[in-house]
Amino acid sequence: MIVPDSIEGAVLLSVIDFTLSIVMISGIGFILALFPLFNRLGKVDEAKLRQGQH
Amino acid sequence: MFEQLISFAGALEAQTGLSQFWWGNVVMIAIGAGMIYLAVSKGYEPLLLVGIGFSCIISNIPGSDLILPGGLFHYAYQGVALLIIPPLIFFGVGAMTDFGPMIANPKLVILGAAAHLGIFVALIGAKALGFTIHEAGAIGIIGGADGPMAIFVTMKLAPHLLPQVSVAAYSYMALMPLIQPPVMRLLTTHEERLITMKQTRPISRLEKIAFPIVIGVIVNLFFPPVAPLITMLMLGNLFKEVLVTDRLAKTAANDVMNIIIIILTVAIGSTMAADKFLTVKTIEIVVLGLVAFVFGTASGVVGAKIMNLFLKEKINPLLGSAGIASVPIAARVSHIVALRENKENYLIYHAMGPNLAGVFGTAISGGIMLALLGVK
Repeated sequence: MIVPDSIEGAVLLSVIDFTLSIVMISGIGFILALFPLFNRLGKVDEAKLRQGQH
Repeated sequence: MFEQLISFAGALEAQTGLSQFWWGNVVMIAIGAGMIYLAVSKGYEPLLLVGIGFSCIISNIPGSDLILPGGLFHYAYQGVALLIIPPLIFFGVGAMTDFGPMIANPKLVILGAAAHLGIFVALIGAKALGFTIHEAGAIGIIGGADGPMAIFVTMKLAPHLLPQVSVAAYSYMALMPLIQPPVMRLLTTHEERLITMKQTRPISRLEKIAFPIVIGVIVNLFFPPVAPLITMLMLGNLFKEVLVTDRLAKTAANDVMNIIIIILTVAIGSTMAADKFLTVKTIEIVVLGLVAFVFGTASGVVGAKIMNLFLKEKINPLLGSAGIASVPIAARVSHIVALRENKENYLIYHAMGPNLAGVFGTAISGGIMLALLGVK
């Protein structure tokens, strides 16, 4: 176990976890901001996909 | 003859559960009946409470073989204990969820983490009350307001707390329309609640198909401890968005989901035996769960207000509380509170962004917690 089983450990765990969560989710937000770039690859024909259902 | 009859009656009683019946069983049976009453007469989470309530009643009948090895309730619990059920719930949820609002407004994604301060307030509170750090982590995750994730993390950290944690998590999720609005109003001004949101861009089919694949890769790469849940969420969503597996998506969203709900509710209720449930620890966990929800709501709203300090185009801070993962309850609460101020301010689509991000926020928090506690 990296974090000690004490109040100090709980505070340390909380601070690290909350900070890293903010950083990680911001990273996901950044990646999502790049998603419009997918549209440069072309357009998916939804009608064709729906016809091809199995 | 009379003595023989007495001894026969005694032997018969020993065969039944009557000799082991105590007042704790009566209390738990009343709690189970209360759950069914709330589901039937008040409409509170009937899909969950009917199964949990019934199974709670049966599990408190001494002598019932259903919860013992070989009994059906026991095997339902094994589905939870072996962590098979929570990922399958996510599979069904993915097949019925449109992640478009989250893709459309990436800056709101951060609220999915900001609204999780409650997890850590409850964690520190639990540690201060004498729980071990593993138990405190399991209690804290109630604040993520994500049932399957709470079960998943609890089974990894403190499986003996599963009944308390799951009952607290699902109960507070059902009570969010009562818990959140006072906190949201306390922390916002009337003018802030009136802020309208700009319409977001349309999301193409290609983006919707790419989303589960990209997120699946990221989660497995960076958060292996919680990857089973998010991976299944993304698989269900991929079935929905590719449009060529409509049949599978419908099966995941309906049939699979319904079967899993039956198994899950029976499993949770079967753990609510009086000797394990009627303890001071249970009361502490229930209180800490409420603290986690209140602080999570508050931190989400405050997080949105902090974002407004840097944004040219202000966002409605009521969106912040939607960062609590409970989908779509938290988003609906934001929408309703905004509607009460302005009948034309429809926040639901915008609130779904942080709400869906909250699912990832809880998963990330849970994953980091498991990693820091050295649990795989």
